[in-house]
Amino acid sequence: MKMALSLTNVCKRFGGVTALDGVSFDVAHGELLGLVGPNGAGKSVLVNVVSGFYPLTTGSILVDGRDVTYAPPHHFGRLGIARTFQNIRLFKRMSVLENVLVAFPRHVRSPFGSILRWNRRAEIDHALALLSQMRLVEKADQSAGSLAYGEARRLEIARALATEPKLLLLDEPAAGMNDRETDELRADISDLRSMLDAIVLIEHNVEFLRGLSDRLVVLDYGRMIADGVPDIVLKIPAVVEAYLGAAEDA
Amino acid sequence: MIQDYLFFTGINVLLAWSVYIILMSGSLSFANGGFMALGAYATGYLTTTYGLDLWLVIPPVALLAALFGALVSLPALRTRGVYLILVTIGISICMGVGIESSEALGGVKGMGGLVGTEPWHVFVLVGVVGLFLLIVSYTPLQRILDAVREDEYVARSLGINTTYVKVVSFGAGAALAATSGALYAHYLIFIRPEHFNVMMSLFMVLYVILGGVNNLWGAALGATIMTLAPEFIRGMAEWRPTVFGLIIILLLLVRPQGLLAFRTRTARAGTRVAKWVQGKLVPGGAAS
Repeated sequence: MKMALSLTNVCKRFGGVTALDGVSFDVAHGELLGLVGPNGAGKSVLVNVVSGFYPLTTGSILVDGRDVTYAPPHHFGRLGIARTFQNIRLFKRMSVLENVLVAFPRHVRSPFGSILRWNRRAEIDHALALLSQMRLVEKADQSAGSLAYGEARRLEIARALATEPKLLLLDEPAAGMNDRETDELRADISDLRSMLDAIVLIEHNVEFLRGLSDRLVVLDYGRMIADGVPDIVLKIPAVVEAYLGAAEDA
Repeated sequence: MIQDYLFFTGINVLLAWSVYIILMSGSLSFANGGFMALGAYATGYLTTTYGLDLWLVIPPVALLAALFGALVSLPALRTRGVYLILVTIGISICMGVGIESSEALGGVKGMGGLVGTEPWHVFVLVGVVGLFLLIVSYTPLQRILDAVREDEYVARSLGINTTYVKVVSFGAGAALAATSGALYAHYLIFIRPEHFNVMMSLFMVLYVILGGVNNLWGAALGATIMTLAPEFIRGMAEWRPTVFGLIIILLLLVRPQGLLAFRTRTARAGTRVAKWVQGKLVPGGAAS
């Protein structure tokens, strides 16, 4: 069976530092995978590799059965991989609406052809639909730079959805949010599952993932130390030691 | 003559736009003086040596400049920030040295006998290019360019081929600079390499930065003011560079963001937000 995402023995070295060391796991269609690990475990590096930001040192990446290991960076987005960023990276000079519109595949694929081929009303309505899904529709004409922290995070998700992705990578989407915002975000992500083939959710906070993710992959020092159902994975001594112990001390 | 001032203003507006077109995708080019020289000398050579019609040679020369611009931008775009600036300055210098050492192009003595440009030709081109840029500023292309300029990596992750976008915009800017150079040369009658030196490239960039980098009006206003303002003190020719320098310092102190800093929105939801909230719109394109 073809997997939504399949990593085989992925290694990433920066000079002498091995950030990812032989990571292999699959994400099945319809799955919401939680990727956890302490700071510096290589979670963000993994997202950067899977979204084409960093070329990997060795190993291979298959998306829906297609080998994208050596694809140029912009192909990852076109093949249906969308992502958000741990440190929010919106186009701040644009409006909220424009941040969503800019990602529509029709124009992204032929930027210069877009001068002749655009449909303002239908596109704006489509963008408003995505914004309304992320509870931002009333802010459509505001500047993206004026959004509050939680709103900016939601706009990043809306922009990612605008690329019509199959696989969505969320890099610590709840970071910096208060409890109420975190609960709302969890409900939002739950709602997204029907729109997407698969979701990979990177999170520092295990409680956020408990009950939300189908499966957990645990990274520590660039190596995968566990892969399985959350309740079982979180009881593995190595995981408790590497991750939970460290988190509780902090 | 008033006609001369208007002509040079028009040329400088076109040159400022040639820098602005490249800046739209995030690259600051100091090579446009070189592209301008390419246009001036290539068309000049063809019109004087072979007696070809100026309007016949401008399109292929502009295309040549576009290809040249795209070609040099490929290695240049691998470098970033200040390094890219240095590479483009290098292109300008190389072009000047190349012309100076070419017998066929007149070398340091210059090239003469260039005629055929009327001021209205330039005004028409200003109108056409301005209208094109105005239309672009309301299309999805403008958003994509803004995205590439603001965060190239994020733009790429959305699926935008940022290299392609930047190379095409470099080529387009080079073509416009070359066309302006051709018109300029055939108005001046006589051209020399120093007409297109690095200072020329620097002035074009200054017009855009002083006028504002976010819209086509800023570049046009910057070019107009910086062309006409020094003329007010024409009587004191030796003070002109000083006044020019003082204007630059003053403008950068008072308005570092440029005279016209606004950015045009490519789309607005406007009243559709309220309609959406009230549930009056249920588009077929809805994602759920």
